Parts: sequence; structure tokens; C-alpha cells
Amino acid sequence: MSQELIDAITDMREDDVLRITNELLDGGASPLDILNACKAAMEVIGQRFETGEAFIPELILAGEMMTAVSDILKPRMAEAAASDKLGKIVLGTVEGDIHDIAKDIVVFMLDLNGFEVTDLGVDVPAAKFVEAVQETGATIVGLSGFLTLAYDPMKETVAALRENGLNVKIMIGGGQIDEQIRDYTGADAYGRDAMAAVALAKEWVKES
Amino acid sequence: MKIIGEKINGTRKRVAAAIAERDQTYIQELAAKQSEAGANWLDVNAGTHPAQEPADLTWLIETIQAVVETPLCLDSANPAALQTVLPVVKKTPMINSISGEPERLEKILPIVAEHGCEVIALAMDDKKIPKTTEKRMEIIDNILAATRAAGVPDGKVYVDPLVMTIATENQSANIACDTIRAVHEKYPDVHFTMGLSNISFGLPARSYINRGFLTLAMGAGLDSAIMDPLDREIQAAILAAELLLGKDRHCLNYVRASRKGVFDQPIT
Repeated sequence: MSQELIDAITDMREDDVLRITNELLDGGASPLDILNACKAAMEVIGQRFETGEAFIPELILAGEMMTAVSDILKPRMAEAAASDKLGKIVLGTVEGDIHDIAKDIVVFMLDLNGFEVTDLGVDVPAAKFVEAVQETGATIVGLSGFLTLAYDPMKETVAALRENGLNVKIMIGGGQIDEQIRDYTGADAYGRDAMAAVALAKEWVKES
Repeated sequence: MKIIGEKINGTRKRVAAAIAERDQTYIQELAAKQSEAGANWLDVNAGTHPAQEPADLTWLIETIQAVVETPLCLDSANPAALQTVLPVVKKTPMINSISGEPERLEKILPIVAEHGCEVIALAMDDKKIPKTTEKRMEIIDNILAATRAAGVPDGKVYVDPLVMTIATENQSANIACDTIRAVHEKYPDVHFTMGLSNISFGLPARSYINRGFLTLAMGAGLDSAIMDPLDREIQAAILAAELLLGKDRHCLNYVRASRKGVFDQPIT
């Protein structure tokens, strides 16, 4: 694994990341090696974010760098792409709430950790979650909400998913959410932060 | 530059506890300190469930009015709560807030007009905050049409251009400042206000960002802010910005503030 590439990503040197990626590929490195280096680098950035050493704009830039790298890799690993995903997740901020920052971070971390995430955005009605699960075949749903007003729509969304007979695991998160709210909404679990969401998702795909 | 003191807000944990326990001393201290620090209004937000809000707001208002005469800024989107508390408010309050949302306009504007209140108008409708200056302008046009129709003079309207956090929207300060300029051009009597600290959410060393943004926004025409009046760094930034914008004749306010020791505290 190229430490040079890992360092370039964690130092947010966008141009170097692309240059090194191309050089490695030209030198015969496999796309998988590069992906592993990306993953290692993103783990470092994720930890730095958790400890307050890295900031939201850097997460966004890191995401852009990952997209750019995978654009370079894609033509070289056409067959590997979709089938390697760990699992499918539908995620969004529930109806009545428009907070997106924390939700975006969760989407980003899940994506980075190998999940195929369908991000429905903010103020998402229950019916749209149901529809998205039916369309994508996702096995996990994440409901985000920052306001206390989000608890009822969360409860309704959980109920709608169950009523439609969808076999999904549901996690909730955001703001003041705790075990009591999880119980109120009927969700399977709650997570305090993006890393918790990743841990839950990994655990759930392992079970299934 | 006028200041709406932000500290009496029930979404803050310590204030929520004070409201629940009816802790008059704590609330009165917040009111007195902000007034002494030069707040022109004190924002009052109960932060409680709509059913509980009228009672909590009434208690807050009576508690505050027992110690200060500073006008209040009633921070509630609940028309029923506003109707209930208005009779106990001594000085004509500011109402925080209306938006382009038709229901809010219909229910809150008549209250504003009837009592001759000043009112904060958010540049958003039905929960959506538009990304561009043009779209925000459309909403402001709708709101101003409604306030004028209700008989509220433009000079009583404080437009909040709504600044998003710059960590996720790189142009957010520019969009807010451009919105202020565009509204000012079209409605010269309208005032402006906004919450200052949102801009720096998620970033380190936030106070530098807040101060820099305040200066840029004042340059664009911002003439009031919802902020912590006890924040000496922001107060110093306001004095400097007013001076630079030619609003401090002979630099007197700045010099006087200096003599009073406003700038003495080291900036941390």
C-alpha cells in the first residue's frame, strides 16, 4: 500500500492525490491496492474528525478526492464496481426537518466504508422511504432528525416500512436521540455519530 | 448597529432548566447583563412544546420585565402563544419571526399590524431555504407585498437573509451579503438582522470567522444582529466596522470605547 498516496489524501493535497494515483497505476499497481490506500487514508480522516482535528470542509474535500480517484480507477476495474459493495442503505432526514450536515457525514462515512447509499435528502415523507427501499432493495434504512419534532415522523416512517412488509433494519440518529426515543419510534437501533452508524450497518449485513 | 440579545433561549440547556424550575434569579441575571451590555432588544424564546409555550413565555416576560425596561423580541412561530402573551408585554415588542410561509403570514401578520410591532422576516418559505440570492429575493418580494397589504411600514421589517454554515456552502457569506444589497436596493427602508454564529458552525477558531463576517455584512448593509451582547470581541468588531463605514463621526464612539477599556481585554 502506498504511504505516499495515504499521506497525500490525509494532507488534503488534491493535485498530488491524482498525480500519485496515475503514477502508481502506470507503474503497475493494482486498482485494489489504490482503493485500500484510499480506505486507510479515509479512516485516518474519520478519526481526526471524531477527535476534532479535522473539519467538515475537509470531509467534503476528501469525498471529492475519492470520487476523482474512483473515476480514474473505474475504466480499469469495470467488473469489480457494484458487486463489491457490502450492502444497500437508504438514508434521509425525516419529514418536517431540514438538517443535513450530520446526515451528510453519515452518508459519506457509510459510502466510504463500502456501502451503496441512496441519500434521499431532507424533509423526506415516509412514503418516499418506502418507495426507495422497494426500488433499491436496500436492507438497511437510516432516519435522521435533529429537531424534537422529528420523532413523530420517524415513528410514522418506521410504521410505514413495517406495514409495507419490508424486511429492513432501521437505525435512527441526530440531535438528542437516545434509547427512549428509539423505543418510541420503534426503530431497531440508534447511533450517536457517523462511526456508530457504520458499526451498526456492518453488524447488520454480517447477520443477514 | 442594533443588538438583539440572544441568551434567553429555551433551546439552551441551562435556560430550559431555569424555565422548568421557574428560576427567576438566573433569567433576571441574563436579562440585566445583556441590557447593561447594550442590547436593544432581548430575544425571548421558551423553546417548549406549543401547549406549554404560552404559560412559559408569560412567566419569562414577567420575570424579565421586573428587572429591565429593554424591549423584548418575542421568538415564537406560534400565533396562539403570541396572542396570549402580548397583553403582558409592556413595551411594543419585536416579533421573531415571519417567513414566506403563507400560514405564518396569515396568522402572525395581523398581530404585528394590530400592535405596531417590528418583525423579523426570514428569506425562506415552507421550510426551504433557497440557495440563490434571486430565489431569496422572490420570497422577500412576497413577504413585503404581504406586510404592506397588512399596513406594516417597511421600516418595521427586519429581513434575515439567512446565512448557512460556510463549512458546507462555500458561497454562503456572499449569498447573504448579496441578498442584503439586493433587498436594500429595492426596499431602502427595510432593516436587516441575522444570527451571526451560524456561519462558523463546524470550523475551528469560530470567533474570527464571526467577526470577519459581521464586518462584511455590515458593509453590505446589516444594521442589527441576533448575538451575545456580552461578547466583547464582537462588540469591538462592531465599533471598528462602524468607524470604517463612516458611521462614527470624528471616530468618537471608537475613542470613547477605548477610554472605557472595551479593547483592553486581550483577544483570545
